[in-house]
Amino acid sequence: MKTEIIALAAAIAISVSTLGPAIGQGLTAKSAMESIARQPDAAKDIRSTLIISLALMEALTIYGLLIAFMLVAKI
Amino acid sequence: MGEESKVIFPLFGILDVTGEVVMMWIILAVITVISLIVRHNLKERPGIFQNVIETGVEYLDNFFGDLLGREKSRRYFSFLAALFIFIIFANYSGLFPGVGQTDYVKAPTSSLSVTAGLGIVSFVFLQIAGLRAGVKHYFKRFVSPMFFMLPLLLLDEFIKPASLALRLFGNVFGEEMVTEELYSIFPIGVPVVMMALSLLFCALQAMVFTMLVSIYLDEETEAE
Repeated sequence: MKTEIIALAAAIAISVSTLGPAIGQGLTAKSAMESIARQPDAAKDIRSTLIISLALMEALTIYGLLIAFMLVAKI
Repeated sequence: MGEESKVIFPLFGILDVTGEVVMMWIILAVITVISLIVRHNLKERPGIFQNVIETGVEYLDNFFGDLLGREKSRRYFSFLAALFIFIIFANYSGLFPGVGQTDYVKAPTSSLSVTAGLGIVSFVFLQIAGLRAGVKHYFKRFVSPMFFMLPLLLLDEFIKPASLALRLFGNVFGEEMVTEELYSIFPIGVPVVMMALSLLFCALQAMVFTMLVSIYLDEETEAE
């Protein structure tokens, strides 16, 4: 029984922690695309800011991934 | 973080040498040999090899120049570029066949100890750079805009390197794990897809790490 619960917890940890950042990253990329389309001159600045903000959001998913790996290692 | 490295042999009886350390030695040797060869054969009209290296250095110079401004990026270029080159070599070393499969050679950045070390090094670098840029500004940063922000800003200073280390470790380790899982599901062909993606992600992670360090650096050494 215990191993099943741990497996389920790992699955929930990674899937929930993917959902939020995925939505956020989608919105970020969308507005970055729009602003590049509107102002192609600023593409360089926008791109570097985009990568930084994507990386910061990515970190949340990575924390979830780490927790999932820790849980899987316990099985 | 539930990770353990197998000790291959203890150096001088106390320093435990693991697969990551061996790989780091190999990387250091490769980088040193490349730099020595290039430095030895410097020419006014560069050959192919020198051209490639020059393009790389120019790319890094522009990269940090855009983030920090020309003068500041030149001052801290040696540290930032060294960080970038080491991380990108360490990430790509995980793609070589056999690396990570045995205990003797492993991609260094897939171990939390190595990335935590990189985080600590950049933490110390940021503090020193901040203090050298101006002691008054350095301490003023902790109490601006309000005095009661002090605990939060102090905490933030320690969270920065920790999140840098965890991000790099999580990405590289996660990639290796996914590739391994794909390999155990279907060994022929399928892992190549993930490895091709890794080619992109490895470079991106090295870029993100140094980019964030240089942004923190920009914050710390801001001219008043």
